[in-house]
Amino acid sequence: MHRRRFLSHCIQLIAAPVIALFYPKQATSAWLASHFATTEFSPQFQQLYAGLSITDTTDIEISLPDIAENGAVVPISISSKLDNIQGFDIWVEKNPTPLAAEIHFSADVLAVMTGRIKMAESCQVIVIAHQNQGLLRNQKWVNVMQGGCGTG
Amino acid sequence: MASSIKIRSQQLDDYTEIKVLLSHPMENGRNRDVNGILIPAHFIQEMIIELNNKTIITADLGGSVSKNPFFTFQLKNGNSGQTLTVRWIDNLGQSDSAEHILE
Repeated sequence: MHRRRFLSHCIQLIAAPVIALFYPKQATSAWLASHFATTEFSPQFQQLYAGLSITDTTDIEISLPDIAENGAVVPISISSKLDNIQGFDIWVEKNPTPLAAEIHFSADVLAVMTGRIKMAESCQVIVIAHQNQGLLRNQKWVNVMQGGCGTG
Repeated sequence: MASSIKIRSQQLDDYTEIKVLLSHPMENGRNRDVNGILIPAHFIQEMIIELNNKTIITADLGGSVSKNPFFTFQLKNGNSGQTLTVRWIDNLGQSDSAEHILE
């Protein structure tokens, strides 16, 4: 009886780290409905970064059109020469769903990306960069000519 | 059915540029069809990019990403012949994946 229990414990002890080794990412990168809630920007933003200090910087470069003709497709490019950028969060202040994307990079990727976002109306686009434990912020105003339905 | 994922890569001086185009409606649940019926939310929630089976980029997305999401990224040490895998899963549980050998 003791031997059987001992063997079963051995198997569990070996299996757990092996399973963890094969499934590390799935557990940590789950999409969070709370982050992408349809809500007001300010409380959502504060809740997501509660207790963290945010440094404003122009070292996170954001390229967006000054005037977006079509709010359904607004090209954005983000880049930074800073070290240890682990990812970008892209926020559109006046969209019903303010958080557009959370991008996470490994060390194999440069902190440079482009994408396309929807904008319901003219507002700030805010980018939060994760650098080690710190948060960096830059933002840019975009005038949207045609927004409304079909966009945000 | 044709793949919903198109991947391109190009070796440049200091990095490898990758471009990813996903065919997806990215409906946020607030739009109406021609008859005024609300179109249910249908958008990609997660895109994962792997280089030789190692995850290098994960993107959590919401309905504020444009229809047919298009992204470009830059790899520091991409070598031609390496395998890039792109996967996505949407809020309805649909998913797709595609592989690309770096140019």
